[in-house]
Amino acid sequence: MQLIPALYDPLRFLIIELQKQLELVTLFFETGEADVAERSLARVDYIDNQHLILLNRAAAFLAETPEAESRIAVQSYEHLNQSLKTLSRQCQAIVFQAQSCRSALKILRRKAVFKALQDLTAGLEMIEPAIESESSSLAIDICRLKVHIDKRCDQQLDRLKKRLKNGQQTEMLLNASFVLRDISAMGEGLLRIGEGIISANLGQMIQIERYHSLEATLSALQLNPQQNELSIRALGETKSGCSLSGVMGTDSEGEMLAVFKEGDQAKLQEEKTGIESWHQVYPGIAPKVYSYHKNGSKAALLFEYLTGDTFERLLLDKDRKLLKKGLNTLFGTLQNIWQATQIEKHQAAHYMQQLKKRLPAIFAVHPEFELKMININGVKSHSISNLIEACATLEDGLSVPKAVYIHGDFNLDNIIYDSVEDEVNFIDLHRSDYQDYVQDLSVLMVSCYRIANFDPQVRKLIAQTMQAIYDFGADYADQIKDDSYALRMALGLSRSFLSSTRFVLDKQHAKAMHFRARYLMEQILRLSPQHLNNYQIPKEIFHD
Amino acid sequence: MAKKTPYFEHESLQDKDTIISYLKAITQGFKKGAIKFSDEDENFVLTPQPFANLKIKATQSKKGQTLNIKINWSSDQDEDADDTPLFIDPKHPKKSNRSKKSS
Repeated sequence: MQLIPALYDPLRFLIIELQKQLELVTLFFETGEADVAERSLARVDYIDNQHLILLNRAAAFLAETPEAESRIAVQSYEHLNQSLKTLSRQCQAIVFQAQSCRSALKILRRKAVFKALQDLTAGLEMIEPAIESESSSLAIDICRLKVHIDKRCDQQLDRLKKRLKNGQQTEMLLNASFVLRDISAMGEGLLRIGEGIISANLGQMIQIERYHSLEATLSALQLNPQQNELSIRALGETKSGCSLSGVMGTDSEGEMLAVFKEGDQAKLQEEKTGIESWHQVYPGIAPKVYSYHKNGSKAALLFEYLTGDTFERLLLDKDRKLLKKGLNTLFGTLQNIWQATQIEKHQAAHYMQQLKKRLPAIFAVHPEFELKMININGVKSHSISNLIEACATLEDGLSVPKAVYIHGDFNLDNIIYDSVEDEVNFIDLHRSDYQDYVQDLSVLMVSCYRIANFDPQVRKLIAQTMQAIYDFGADYADQIKDDSYALRMALGLSRSFLSSTRFVLDKQHAKAMHFRARYLMEQILRLSPQHLNNYQIPKEIFHD
Repeated sequence: MAKKTPYFEHESLQDKDTIISYLKAITQGFKKGAIKFSDEDENFVLTPQPFANLKIKATQSKKGQTLNIKINWSSDQDEDADDTPLFIDPKHPKKSNRSKKSS
C-alpha cells in the first residue's frame, strides 16, 4: 500500500507498543504475576497516544492533499489505526478478566492457548512487511491466521463447555471462556487488518470473502489481484442487494477490464443462466461471462464490461439526435430479436396479478394511495383494489398471439447503447423468458417517466421517447396482427406506473405516476365492447 | 411596470343562478380550450389541456360550508422544440447482419 511517512510513523509506533502489550499478556499467562499484568495495562496509554497522533495527522494530510487517491490511502491508515487500537483494548480486557479470577488463568495454561497467542504475535509481526510489500499475499496470510486462532480457541471452549456441564467451578470456567472469546476476537481483529491492507492495494474496501471470490473469478482472465496488477471501483449496488465493481488494470488508465458482481448465490445463478440463454437465443446481445464462482450461499460473477451509455444518460444529456439514433437502433434490434424468437403461443402476462402482489409494498411507501371509493353526486371513483380486480377480469380475455423471448426487467439502466458501434447490449438478464413483448415495452416506458429530472426540455424528450416506444410497439403489433396491443399496454403501464412508485420518494412525482396508473385503468374500464379494439393510449399521459 | 406572472382574482357575493352561469362559462372555456380573464388593465387567457389534475375539496365548519375545486395542468412553453417523432418507421438498424428482413 501507499506509504505516507507522516501516517506510517505513528502506525509503526502503535504496532511496536501493541507487540509489547501482547508480549506482556503472554508472559502474564505464563507466570500469573500481578506486576506483569500491570505493565501490560500501562501500554494502553502509549497506544491511545499514537492512535490520536495518527488521527490528527490524517486530518492534516487530507486538508493538504484532498485528492480522491489520497483519501482512499488515508482511509486505509485510519482503518488500520482503529483495528490496532481495538486489538489493544482486547488485550486489556483479557488481562482484566484473568486478574479477576486467578484460577481461570491456570486452566488456560494450555498448549493451544499459547499457540493462539503465538499466532497473534506472528500476525502483528507481519503487518509492517505486508504494508510495505508490493503484493497482497502477506496480507492474505494475516487474514488466514484468524482461522488458526479460531480453531485453537474453539477447541478449548469445547473443553470448558463439557466441564461446565458438571456444575462445578462454574465462575472460573466462565471466566476462562470469556478470555478465550477475547483471544478469538483478536483473530477477527487481525483479519480486519489484513483486509485493510488488501483494500488499500485494490483502491476500495473489500471483505476477505469477496476478495477470494474476486481472485477466483479473475484467474479466468489470467489476472492475479495479489500482484497488484489491478484495482477495483464500486459501480453501485443493485436492488437485489448484489454489489457491482469495475475491475481496472493498474496500467490501463481507468479502462474497465471486467465487471465483478457478487451477492446471493441463487440470484447470480439466475443471472448466469439468463446470460447463457441469451447467448443461445440471440448471440451478441448479452455480455460475455468470464467466470463464475460459488462459495456457499454467496456467489460471484465476472463478466464483460460493455462500453456505452444508458438511455437515461442520452435523455439527460438532451442530445436529441443521438437519442433518436440510439432508440431506432434499439427498436431494430428488438424487432430482430422478436422475429428470431417468436413462438406460436398465446401468452398472458397477468399484469394485474403482478400489480396486486406489489400493492402492500407500494402502500408501505405511499399510504396515501390507499384511497376509498368516492361518489360525487353519482360520479364514482373506485378504490385501487377494486380497479385492479375489474381490470383483471378484462385482462382475462387478452393475450399476445406470439410470445417472444423478453428481457424481463427492461429498465433504461439495463440497456447499454454504444454510439460508436451503433449497437445495443442488454444486462441484468435474470428474468428473461418467453413472454408478451408489451411487458418489456411498458417497463421501459415507465422507467423513462420515472427519471427524477424535471427540466422541461428533459421531460419533453422523455414524453417523446415514451411515444416512440409506444409507436414502435404498435407497428410490431400490426405485423403480428396483435389487436389487443393498446389494451395490454394500458394494463402494463398501469402496473409499472404504480409499482414503480415504491422506489420514488418525491411525493409529487409518485403522485403523478399513481394518477396515470389509475387514469389508464379507469379509462379502459369505461370502454364499451365495440370500442375495446380501437383503443389508443392518449399520448398526453406521457407528458407531465 | 407590468406584472411578471399573469394573475387574476375575483371574489363577490352571488345568487345561485349567477354562480351556475360562472361555472358554465368556465365549463365552456374548458371545451374550447381557452378561458379568458380580463380586468380594466390586464388580459389573460388560460388554455386548458386535454389532461389536467383535478382536486375537489368539500369542508364543513361552524361558520359554513366550502367547496374548493382546483384544476391544474402543465403548459408547453417551448414553442421552438423539435416535435418530429423519435420513432423512424420501420427501418432496420444499419448493422443488420443478424437481422431477417420483414415485410
